[in-house]
Amino acid sequence: MHAVVADGLVRRFGAVEALRGLSFSVDAGEIYGLVGPDGAGKTTAIRVLTGLVDPHGGTARILGQDPGAGGDVREQMGLMPQQYSLYGDLTIAENLTFFGDLFCIPKDVFMARRERLLDITRLARFTDRRADSLSGGMYKKLALACSLLHQPKVLMLDEPTNGVDPVSRRELWALLYEFIGDGMAILVSTPYMDEASRCHRVGLISQGRLVAEGAPRDLVRDFDHPVVEVEGGDRHAIEELLLTMPAIRGTHPVGTRLRLVIAPGELESVRAQLTPLGAVLNPAVPDFEDVFLARTGAVA
Amino acid sequence: MRMHAIQLWSIIIKELRQALRDPRMRGQLLIMPIVQLLIFGYAADFTVDHVPTVIVDQDQSSVSRHHVQRLLADGTLDDAGTADEPTANEMIDDGRANAAVIIPPGFARDIDGGRTAMVQVVLDGSNPTRSGIVGGTVGRYFAMAGMELGNPMGGQAVGKKGSVSFQPRVLYNPQMKTQFYIVPGTAAMQLLMATAMLAAMGLAREKELGTLEQVLVSPIPTWVLMLGKTLPFVLIGMFNVLTSMAAGAWLFGVPLHGEPTFLLAATLAYLMSTLGAGLFISTMSNSQQQAFMGAFLFMMPAMLLSGNMTPLAAMPDWLRPFTYLNPLRYYIQVLRGSLLRGAGWAEMWPQFVALAGMGVIILWVSSMRFRKTLA
Repeated sequence: MHAVVADGLVRRFGAVEALRGLSFSVDAGEIYGLVGPDGAGKTTAIRVLTGLVDPHGGTARILGQDPGAGGDVREQMGLMPQQYSLYGDLTIAENLTFFGDLFCIPKDVFMARRERLLDITRLARFTDRRADSLSGGMYKKLALACSLLHQPKVLMLDEPTNGVDPVSRRELWALLYEFIGDGMAILVSTPYMDEASRCHRVGLISQGRLVAEGAPRDLVRDFDHPVVEVEGGDRHAIEELLLTMPAIRGTHPVGTRLRLVIAPGELESVRAQLTPLGAVLNPAVPDFEDVFLARTGAVA
Repeated sequence: MRMHAIQLWSIIIKELRQALRDPRMRGQLLIMPIVQLLIFGYAADFTVDHVPTVIVDQDQSSVSRHHVQRLLADGTLDDAGTADEPTANEMIDDGRANAAVIIPPGFARDIDGGRTAMVQVVLDGSNPTRSGIVGGTVGRYFAMAGMELGNPMGGQAVGKKGSVSFQPRVLYNPQMKTQFYIVPGTAAMQLLMATAMLAAMGLAREKELGTLEQVLVSPIPTWVLMLGKTLPFVLIGMFNVLTSMAAGAWLFGVPLHGEPTFLLAATLAYLMSTLGAGLFISTMSNSQQQAFMGAFLFMMPAMLLSGNMTPLAAMPDWLRPFTYLNPLRYYIQVLRGSLLRGAGWAEMWPQFVALAGMGVIILWVSSMRFRKTLA
């Protein structure tokens, strides 16, 4: 049994279709990254999977149960929302106690877990500090600690490192790796490519649908689009021309050069059109970001 | 059950911590009600006495002086001096006096001769309540004086035809003290304001900040969460009712008749309805600002249609049915009836049923709406 199952999820908000048949699954002991640009439906997917929002179609299952039904399944899952979801006017200690009580964790068990979580998040010295006076990184670590207190089997994190400095970001990921060792299933959404490549598997999501799925390395290895870096020529004229070319699947600047992801088999025709503008096309090795750009149609 | 008790307790503690941690909030919750009571109790005092009255005694007899003295004796009218008629009119014009009592020449002679003696009262009508009471006071005094003249020895008027004695007796509030009326009304109103506003803003705040998400994915059932969000304000509301009644009794001598159990139960029912209304408003709002406006939209008509400011009987027919949907209407009746008249379950159970019924319904509807509106 998969720990998390999204099967053909559909969810509309008014006229906007946030999810249009999203399907994927996450297993125990795995970090699954839901990767996509802003507005792709990552947050809605996590809200449906945590039971905060009912789907209009398809099914969501956590450990085989309906997350919207409440009760038992909620004791098995944890959520770290994207926005600041702790009580800013309560201290670190008070926030931890509050969430511990919501899950009815026995006092002695709670104290032991609290010590451990404060220790590994290195927040032990700040327990009397109010949550709203913490730095972005400390706050996220506290939110993570609060969502881990009840030792969930499934943990869902919505853009956990949004607004967090690189050092805290590394620490957060180190924490996540520590917990999957215990067989936890982790679903994490992110718009960052470097984070996506830390996941065991990723699902690329675009406009409410999954467009590609697999281990980041495999996705790059199997990528059949030519990638080139353009040098020289009139940059402005080149960019104007690129906009009119359907074979261009993605562009992003790399220093003074322009990186292009080209539809399979179209490399020579693109070269033919760009060379008259004085451009030189140098072949490049595809990376995960190129895969992401081509698959999701996002503009970096 | 034990689990729900722990969850409920954690929410209550959290709410109380948040509400009482901020000194400004603490002051607003616990001190403001008393301050309001003081302001309304002292400032909105409709009790009419010490009305400055100028005396124009054109008769200048011992009889006229005697009557003037007795007229001023009960304190409703204050002696603003004696003057001639033009000066008296001037004094009323510029506000030094609100009334003038003019005793014409020949007053004593007319009484002696058994003829009808005339007294003129000039009133400043810009405050109708006040001028009405002054007119009544003077009228009553001379009616009484007239009867005494018919029978100067006291006792029954023998051999006089058609003399009717009119003796008003005011029950429950014999001195007609406005505070007896104002204090319960103010207490009920400020309870509405505090609790409905707190409930509406509290939940809207959590929605606005997004702090509910991590709570809602926990195993806590919606009803425990809602209960946990309301009970702290029931506590604070109860505290405010008790302090208001204590302050009313101590400062203004408002009596505390009535059955404590009835008063307690009716207050709980009332708080359920005001908190339920607040929660309902919060389910309709996505931000604190919307909740604030929503709470005002509910509270203003509730106060105007409560019978506290204008009598219910004076409202237009089409408007009156709406007052039956107003918890404040019933609770003001409960407080006045209970505190002043000593009414209890036997007399006021319909008010209790109305409050409890409205409270249960609105809390239930809000609970139902709560989860649906989160998305």
